This record gives sequence, structure tokens and C-alpha cells, in this order.
Amino acid sequence: MKKYTVINTPVPNIDGIAKITGRAEYAFDIKLPNMLHGKILRSLYPHAKILNIDTKKAEGLTGVKAVVTGKDTLGVKQGIWRRFKELCDEEILARNKVRYIGEPVAAVAAVDEDTAEEALDLIEVEYEPLPGVFEPLEAIKEGAPQLHEHAERNINVTRHIEWGDVDEGFKGADHIREDWFRCSSQHHVCLETHNAVASFTPDGKLTVWTSTQSHYYIQVLLSWVLGLRENDVRVISRYTGGGFGSKFELDSAQFCSSLLSMKLFRPVKIVLTREEEFMATKRRTPMFYYLRSGVKKDGSFVAKEARVFTEGGAYTSMGATALYLTGFFQSFPYVWPSYRYDGYRVYTNTAPSSAMRGFGAPQATFTAETQIDLIANDLGIDPIAIRRKNAMYPGYEVPGQAKIQSCGLSQCLDKIEEWIKSRGKLAPNRGIGIAAYGFMSGGIFNWFDTPYAFSSASIKINIDGKVDLYVGSQDMGQGSNTTMAMICAEELGVRVEDIRIHMGDTDNCPVDLGAWGSRETLMQGNAVKMAAAEAKRQIIEFAAAKLSPNIVYDLDIKDRWVHLIGRPERGLSYFDVVKEAIRGKDGQPIIARGHYTPHRKGMISPAYSFGVQAVEADVDPDTGKITLKNCVTAHDCGQVINPLGVEGQLEGAMAMAAGYGFTEDLPMDEGKILNPNLVDYKVLRATEMPETKVMAVETYEPEGPFGAKEAGEGLTNPTAGALGNAVFHATGLSIKNLPITPEKVLEALREKNNKKRRARRA
Amino acid sequence: MGYKCPSCGKIWPDTMDLARHIFGTGDQAHKDWVNSKGFNFIELLLIQTMEPGNKGYKTLAELLEREAEKVD
Repeated sequence: MKKYTVINTPVPNIDGIAKITGRAEYAFDIKLPNMLHGKILRSLYPHAKILNIDTKKAEGLTGVKAVVTGKDTLGVKQGIWRRFKELCDEEILARNKVRYIGEPVAAVAAVDEDTAEEALDLIEVEYEPLPGVFEPLEAIKEGAPQLHEHAERNINVTRHIEWGDVDEGFKGADHIREDWFRCSSQHHVCLETHNAVASFTPDGKLTVWTSTQSHYYIQVLLSWVLGLRENDVRVISRYTGGGFGSKFELDSAQFCSSLLSMKLFRPVKIVLTREEEFMATKRRTPMFYYLRSGVKKDGSFVAKEARVFTEGGAYTSMGATALYLTGFFQSFPYVWPSYRYDGYRVYTNTAPSSAMRGFGAPQATFTAETQIDLIANDLGIDPIAIRRKNAMYPGYEVPGQAKIQSCGLSQCLDKIEEWIKSRGKLAPNRGIGIAAYGFMSGGIFNWFDTPYAFSSASIKINIDGKVDLYVGSQDMGQGSNTTMAMICAEELGVRVEDIRIHMGDTDNCPVDLGAWGSRETLMQGNAVKMAAAEAKRQIIEFAAAKLSPNIVYDLDIKDRWVHLIGRPERGLSYFDVVKEAIRGKDGQPIIARGHYTPHRKGMISPAYSFGVQAVEADVDPDTGKITLKNCVTAHDCGQVINPLGVEGQLEGAMAMAAGYGFTEDLPMDEGKILNPNLVDYKVLRATEMPETKVMAVETYEPEGPFGAKEAGEGLTNPTAGALGNAVFHATGLSIKNLPITPEKVLEALREKNNKKRRARRA
Repeated sequence: MGYKCPSCGKIWPDTMDLARHIFGTGDQAHKDWVNSKGFNFIELLLIQTMEPGNKGYKTLAELLEREAEKVD
């Protein structure tokens, strides 16, 4: 008999039909009786005091029903780091001061969007502009404009990681290399912009339909800032059109629509425009990275020091987590005997930077992998060989930080080496670059201070055998509903079509912290597996009475067949047993619950994925244009649950990561984003995608459900580094400033040629 | 033996770990304690990244060696 009947079979997304036929109802689609439309007035200044806001003219406009400003709020400074008061620094509707262009200052509800938009022009805001500061290295200088009273020299958060004797390590190194890098910003570019429909009713209940990665977080944050009881706020998010880290904090659409609805007792809908999305939601954290690494002649790593200043923007957001993770993943996926990291997050008068797919790790991997290739080049060592020599391995402990249980990095290196060899001799101006990476399978940190289990699930089995699976996780397009249905079906011994999944509703679903940090497969998956195992135990109890085996645990269920493990032909139909079980329980459906919270699993995550990526690219020496030819990835995600899901996630991550590497950026002038639209902001398009190939390396992760771990976010980490290394091997140029644009390549080529000319003349 | 944080009372095995705790927490109470000892909290933090050799942490650890209460 096969080990699994459902796991590791290709299952199309269970919500695919609803999506492609347009029946999937996103918050964007919600229309309620008497619904009003809201718009948000945003600051045009990067730093200014608000002296007065006059809303009279706007309120007098026909069709306008209400205008709210910071004066209508409780003035709560909120944030997702609830355990640390000083890190809760954002009011959403500014009362006294604005700190970035795009910060909300007022909101209008009107009978239609056009009227609301017109009313925004009638709101008169009197500002006193203040000097701004836009770069972290400027913001820490003595005398720089200070954004927040509590943050001297604009230092928001600092993080320090250290193990081994770094200074002694450097003394013993044969070769030391120092490099500075600048990692740029990136926008999430979700297809569905931030939006919400809020409906407050006279019984004091608030219902919010919204696009989010965590309905639980939004429920708690809304209740906090609005002064409502937590369970008088219901958040519904049945479908989410992309999140990538941008949708698990409270946003202006959710807050302003709720505030307006509470004032009017009518539903209010706010949908952010694409321009607002770029200017006034969060983004990937730009980082200035200094790396100093010491190695032996044979390529063995001995000591590393990393210092980072991040451009935090105006508020903390999730930036404090990104600051820690970039420091942690800077050492990944290698064994460094000694390591020291100092990271500083600095407030600036720019849109807040926060979580984005990879959560600080793409910056770490770009800088680390670029430097490793430079070190290998300095020492004349093959890039694969130096990585293999220092690779993490199963059982390795990152001192004081993490224990690596499963690790297929060496196998990934083997597969990529084989692929590179198969490419033979490359054409001129073409190079192959590689980057190795690792990533977490859910974070163990509880800065949100939840008293609940990190993930929970419940199951109800009905008389016809249909299984209602209630999960707290949020499917935002990554396919977690399908993964959960598969885990449930496998554990319970039924088919995927027997599962009906319920998610995205705080009234009906158990708590889960949401879809971020690659946590769903492992954490929600463990909760689902536990609930399914409990339901199965109850079914088997009844079957045992009927079949009379020697002992209960001789029975199992596979593919709807309840049977004796040693004699699979002897058994009963799952459907018959369920019917009898429910009758035997006085008509009560079978109910089971499961939960998961990591305990004693280090500082970061219960498990880590690993991988190696190779990027093959052409560089045009006349224009600097980079053309991606191939992108091949060997990825260790433990036991694959859904091969279709893994492939889709990995290809999607690669497209996003390649954009980070060479096309996407958010240039600013005095805090104003210069390309807030999809014409000037260059997302990688289908025609620019290279051939991609994903090779799954299967390991068994003891902490994961059926041995599974992360697949999808981690692959955002290596591409910029692999691409940069491909350019290095094609041209001899190492670009340390993302994105690697044709202009930067061309400038570096010119500089290289000038140097050669100067050397010839000399 | 351990060292007690002079600001919040948490116990740490050595003064370097205690220094990490003080910088990592970084709230007003911890800042105020460092500043009250004639040092500038922010300057020490910046020295850590501007100069080699873990200087900011070492300086604070030396101060704590003298000032922090030792506990069994």
C-alpha cells in the first residue's frame, strides 16, 4: 500500500473554479444596502505640523454624509508590536503631525466615489511645514529633524546578534573582505488594492469585510483603536487578492471606513487607488549593509561582521521584525564559527517600510551571496565548492538562535552543479550565478501578545461523511486552503472532495495568527492534522466495536475505508461508520479540535527550508541590458504536500524576486515616490520571464505535518544575489546597489574600460 | 552567579548579555539609567556600528561590571 493517498499528489486549488468563473467574492465585490463610499485625504508634506483642519465646506457638499479627522478618533497609537508600547507609534488618522507624504489626515463618506473625491478638495488643512529627513544615515546625525519625541537621533529599534569570538576569528583569517551594499525598496503590487466595507449597527456590533492576511489581527487592532469589545468586531475575508506581507497590519481603508460607519450607522466602503497603494501603504525595507568576512585560504568561513541601517520610514510597522530577521538570515545557510550583527532601524520622512515576502532575508541573501562569490573569486575557489564547504547540515545549531533539524542543502548544491554542467560552455557576455538560501517555516515570536494558540482548527463530520474543516489561516492566493484540505484528507483517510473548508471569518473560525512568515503549512497544518487525528480516533472507536479486533490501534482509515492495518481487506465503509457513530452519539456530529504553538524551538522558527538557485543571464555590453535566460531552483521543502502548489509558489516567488533584482524600485524626491503607477513601476511581465525549472529535494522535517515545511517565500531570497552573480560572471562587474539596472551596468562597464585604458597608458 | 539589570531587574549570566539586553530593550527607562551614569545611550549605540571591535557593548559591559548588582 502507498504511504500516502493524498499527500504528494498534484491537486488544483480547491477555490480555482470560483475564482476563474468570477464567483469568488472579494471584499472589493461587497455591496450592501444603503452603502456609502469613502475617500481619504492624505498629506502632501513629508513632515509638517497640523495647525487646523476645516471640514465645513466639504460637509456642505450635496451627497456628503460625514467627514472625520483625527479629532474624531480615540487618539490611540497602535502597532502590531503590542508587547512594546514605544513601538506602537501610528495613529492612522494623524492629529497633530504628519510624517510622510500620503499619511491620512481626514476621510469622507458620500453617496458615491465622485462626490467623496470632490469633497476631499474642499477640506482645508493648515500645515506648518517642518524640515524633513529622508535617508537613515542622515537621520542619525546630530541635529537632524526628529520625527518622534521618544526617538533621539531617529533610532527606532536596534538588534544585536552575536556568537563566537568574532575579533579572535578575524585574527585567524587568511583573507578578509569588506563590502558596502545598498538594497532598494520594492512594492507588493497586490492585484487587489487595500479595501474594506465596514458596517456598524445600533447594537454596537461592527462587521468589516476586508482584504487581509490575518482576520484575527485586524479584529484585535480595530477593537483596540475604536474602543470596542474584541468579539463585537467581526472581520470577514473570504478571498484575498494577494498580500505578500502588506496586509496584516491595520490599514487606512479598514480604520477610516469603520470610523465613518460608526458615526453614520451605515455601511461605508473604501477602496484604495493604485496610486494610494504605492504612496501610502507599506513597502520592502531599504537597507544599507556593511559586511566584513574572514576566511581561510581553503575557503573555510571563520568570522563575519554585519552592520545594517534600514530606512524605516515614518512608523515602526513590521520593520522591527525585518531588522532581526535580516541579521539572522545574513549568516544563512552556512556555518559561521563566529558572527556579529548590529542592525539599526531609523525613522525617516518616507512611507513606512515593513514586511514583504522574505521579511529582510532577500536583502541578507543578496549581500551575503554577492560577497561569497567575490571571496571565491579572490581565492580562486569554485562558487559551488565554497558553499558546499561551509553549508549547514542536519543537526547543526545556530548558537543561541536555532536548531536545524532537516536540511537538504548539500543535495540542492549537487542538483544545481549538475544543471550548470549540463549547460556546457556559455556564449560570450553570458553568465550563470548561484545563490544559496534558507528560510523559516513560521515565526515563533509573539510581539502581538496573543493569548491564543498560534494556530487552531476544528472539524465537524456530518451524517453523509462530509467534513467541515474550520481554519484560522488565510488563503491569499498561495493555496493554503488546498494544503489544509489535503492534510485533513490524508490524516482522516478521506478524499479532498470530502472536505469543505471554512476560513476568513472571526465569528466562525478559530484563531490563527495569519498568513505571514511562511507559517501556514507547518503551523496551521499541524493544527489541522491534530484535529483530523482526533476525529479519526472517534470514528475508529466505533469501527472497533463493530469489527472486534484485538486492540483499537490496529485500525486505520485510508481512502474512505476503515480497516484492520494488518488485513486491509477486512473493513467497513467510512460512510457507514460515520452514520453509525453519529447515531450512537445521540445524533451529535463528530467534533474535533487541534492546535499548535511552538515551544522551546529557539528564537526564530521551528523549521527551516533550504535551497540553491542558478540564474543564467545575458548582458548586452553596449546597452547594459540584462536578459534572463534560465532560472533553476533546487528547493528543500521537506515532504511536498502538493507538487502543483509548490511549483506555482516557487515560480511566483522567482518572478517577484527577479523584479527586486533588476527592474523594481521606488525612487523618491524629498519623500515623494516618483513612480506610483504600473507604467513607471516595472513589475516583471510574462514575456520577460525566463525558462524556469523547480527541482524539489525531499527531506523529512520532524516538526512539520507529514514532514513538510516552507515552500514559496524562501525563494524570494536568492534571485537578486544569483542574478548579480550571473552579471559578475558574464562581465567581471559586481553591482552592489540594487536594482541592477542597465544604467548601473553600463556605468560600471565604462568605469572598467576607463581603468583599463588608464592602466595601458601608465 | 548572575547580574541584575539596574533598570528592570532581569537577571543575566554575564555583563555582555546584560548590555545586549539594555541596548535591545532600548526603552526610556533603560536609556535613562545609562545616561544617568555619565554616558550617552545613543552615542554608545552608534559607536557600536561606527567603530570596530564591539566597542559600544564592551563599554557598557564594563560599566555594568562595576554598577550592576551581582546575584547568586
